[in-house]
Amino acid sequence: MKVKIELFGATRDFSDQNILELSLNNDSTIKDARIEIIKYLKKNFDGNKDFVRIVNTSAFSSENNNIVSDNYKIKNNEKIAIIPPIGGG
Amino acid sequence: MFQGRIIDTKLRKLSIQDAEKFIASSDFGASIFFSGTVRNQNDNKSVIGITYDTHDALVIQSFEEIYNEANEKLEIKNKAVFIDHAKGYLNLGEISIIIAVATKHREEAYKLSRYIIEEIKKRSPIWKKEHYQNSESNWLKGNPLVNEKN
Repeated sequence: MKVKIELFGATRDFSDQNILELSLNNDSTIKDARIEIIKYLKKNFDGNKDFVRIVNTSAFSSENNNIVSDNYKIKNNEKIAIIPPIGGG
Repeated sequence: MFQGRIIDTKLRKLSIQDAEKFIASSDFGASIFFSGTVRNQNDNKSVIGITYDTHDALVIQSFEEIYNEANEKLEIKNKAVFIDHAKGYLNLGEISIIIAVATKHREEAYKLSRYIIEEIKKRSPIWKKEHYQNSESNWLKGNPLVNEKN
């Protein structure tokens, strides 16, 4: 299935498009998406350690704007947001 | 009474006057205006500006949750709260956030204003990219969001 990962904050540096498009197996979870993003970083950014650390410390939000756990099952064509460590104000 | 907004800095600047208008009421005897501005130094680097990034829907949701929580956690039911946060590039000295609160008495107003800014720092998906005098720029590290609901 196809999944779009909307990029925010430091993860915007992962792509010029502000979005990553992943192909995942049906019934994949956030945990699977996280692994797939890290594979993408290994391929495109030589496994940049800072980028990988950011992914490992990020939360994710479902398309209906709920912060979800690693066990959340992603729907086909769902747009998920990656929420890297925050700090506004 | 509550209003929370994300302000696109390409379209307009944050305004204390907006906040004053929103919280003005003779029901309240105390009001506090907190503003955050872009400063010129961080971690021994000369900062020339900051780009703010936001997940708009989640930020507004977090503002509303923080406002509603104040009823129970702080036991402040009668209040007006105005929160504006910038999205986009800001120069030195420009306002990134305004929190205006009005309550019956000053003790509640101080408590509420402080509570709101501290909770925003912990819970609202907002990010800062600093721009430096040497033309470099850097996303600030921040703190992981831990509020998972499933």
